[in-house]
Amino acid sequence: MTTVSPNQASAEAGGIDASARCPLGLLTAFALLWLVAGGVLAMLNLLQLQSPGLLADCSWFTYGRLQALQETILMYGWAVNAGLAAATWLLVRLSGENLRGANYLMAGTVFWNLAIVLGLTGIATGYATSHPLLQMPGYVQPVMLFAYAVMAVPGILAWTGRRKAQTYATQWYAVAALVLLPWFFSVAQVMLTFLPVRGTLQAVVATWYAQNFFSLWLAPIALAAVYYLLPKITGRVLHNYDFAIYGFWALLVFGPWMGGRQLIGGPVPAWIATVAIASSVLVLFHHFIVVVNVRDIFRLTGSTALFFVTVGIAAYLLGGLVDAVFATRALAMVTQFTYFQQAQQQLALGAFSMIIFGTIYYMGPRLAGAAWPSIALIRAHFLAVLIGFVLLVVSLGMAGWVQGRDLNNAAVTFATMSAHTRPWLQLAAAAHGVALIGNLLLTVHFFRLFFTRPAPVAFGQSAALEGSAS
Amino acid sequence: MKNGFIFFFGLFFVLALSWAGLVLGTNAQLGDLAPFYDDMEGKAFPERAPGIASRGQLVYQELGCAACHTQQVRRPDFGSDKARGWGERQSVARDYVHQKFPQLGQMRIGPDLADFGTRAARNGVSESALLADLYNGKNGMPGYRFLFEQRKLTGESSAKALSGGARAGYQLVPTPKAEALVAYLLSLKQTYEFAEARPYEPVAEAKGAH
Repeated sequence: MTTVSPNQASAEAGGIDASARCPLGLLTAFALLWLVAGGVLAMLNLLQLQSPGLLADCSWFTYGRLQALQETILMYGWAVNAGLAAATWLLVRLSGENLRGANYLMAGTVFWNLAIVLGLTGIATGYATSHPLLQMPGYVQPVMLFAYAVMAVPGILAWTGRRKAQTYATQWYAVAALVLLPWFFSVAQVMLTFLPVRGTLQAVVATWYAQNFFSLWLAPIALAAVYYLLPKITGRVLHNYDFAIYGFWALLVFGPWMGGRQLIGGPVPAWIATVAIASSVLVLFHHFIVVVNVRDIFRLTGSTALFFVTVGIAAYLLGGLVDAVFATRALAMVTQFTYFQQAQQQLALGAFSMIIFGTIYYMGPRLAGAAWPSIALIRAHFLAVLIGFVLLVVSLGMAGWVQGRDLNNAAVTFATMSAHTRPWLQLAAAAHGVALIGNLLLTVHFFRLFFTRPAPVAFGQSAALEGSAS
Repeated sequence: MKNGFIFFFGLFFVLALSWAGLVLGTNAQLGDLAPFYDDMEGKAFPERAPGIASRGQLVYQELGCAACHTQQVRRPDFGSDKARGWGERQSVARDYVHQKFPQLGQMRIGPDLADFGTRAARNGVSESALLADLYNGKNGMPGYRFLFEQRKLTGESSAKALSGGARAGYQLVPTPKAEALVAYLLSLKQTYEFAEARPYEPVAEAKGAH
């Protein structure tokens, strides 16, 4: 992308990374702590399905509340913190200037995470909204919106103050995610919490919001990282890059319409589901362009960081396909209202997480100015999350399929149904446990990287940094 | 994409388009949906639930009941909703016009509750039986004991007290939350035959068959 000599470029990048060290280190640290906390609660939540008595006497942790808690932690605690760190870093790197507005990011981060703590307390003590992905009570939602707007400032400044006028795919995706979230977040707040719309229209707004969170936030941020890391690590140019722009707009145009898949057969106009099914298929055009652009990633060369990204992008593509296929009414009749939908959600979140893990492994040593202390820990993390992620999605998917078939057979009672799904749910809980161990390793490793600084590498020695993660 | 303004406008436009289509589109269709006044019966349907039931809906919402129970019956030929006795017809938007926060739900770990009140009346499930289920748990649903309290017995025991489960000298009484929740569940009825809710039956096909 640049014509500057490698040494000069990396020396400049070193200065840029140093300017981002504190705010992005803080964001990532928060993200990782939430990831571990969310993993613990998610596992407990699955165990509750197998022994309903678990924590049932504790009003803070009924199945429904715990479900809302873990979802909120993973989406707003892990995904938003980590995604903002990645997006800001990518935009600052591509702007060619030092990070500006670091104080905004620091202050915003503190308020955002405080708001999450408040929101979680609210859910646990009886103020949950019961809208999927928007469970936090009304009194923290405006705080979160404000904190988010403040946190996004450095990223936007890096975009508007970039050195070169022409832009790169990473920048489109990252900027789109940064500016779109406040828009749909505020619309959802007004229409669901402060001036709730009438009747089942609420369900339409809620699914629109949830879909946007996936299609207009998680996916763009992950893709921004992929479009940056692949050419950067392999040193190869992306194939057919000219088409990337169509892939970008295809996601943005079709993505938001896909939410109605959840409402097939529900008490809303039938065209909502039909439009959603059509959009789920049309958005595959976006996936097609992405696969054409980044197909080199499947050659499996390069660093360990890139392995994470490879798994992530494979999961992202698979997720797109599964969403399209299982949106059709014949299959939705089985999978609707089952664990299968949770499997789809975990597939999307897992794809995002794997790509962000890869980004953290690439970004971490550059921010800290030191190499990762242990390559073995990175490999152990990779193995653990890979096994955990695949097991989790497969077991939830199977549990959902079994549950869906049973639900459609009126002769099967709920007791039988839970006996049928039990082994799969046990496997899913175990999968959460394996992934949790891996994520603990990453968290410990990350704190070691930032606090002990074993053998400082001079900025610019990118080969040494690279060596630690390859 | 050098032009930041066009890029920014494009982002706004695609999001606004989906919002206008899905939200405004649905609002145009359902926004002025009113209860249906039946001249024969001399009242409007769906009927308004009592105040305690609206409070119960908030309890249902904040306890996270929707994580396991849906409240939307699908049409008879789509899934086994009718065969399971969850409702004679599909739920339609008009069923929810009086509900402040409809709890459609997205998961069926337990049965659908859209028409629970009708079912309870048919099976003779009383309020106290339902309270006992809430305390003890049933069919894999755990008991929610924190919705009940042990109250010192002074004089006669409360009419709502559950039999058993209390220490000596105490009685086991549902909290207002539990009472509201049960009133809400018993108020859930989707029985009135709205024109738009008539079950789709492939009659024409059956007649045309040889």
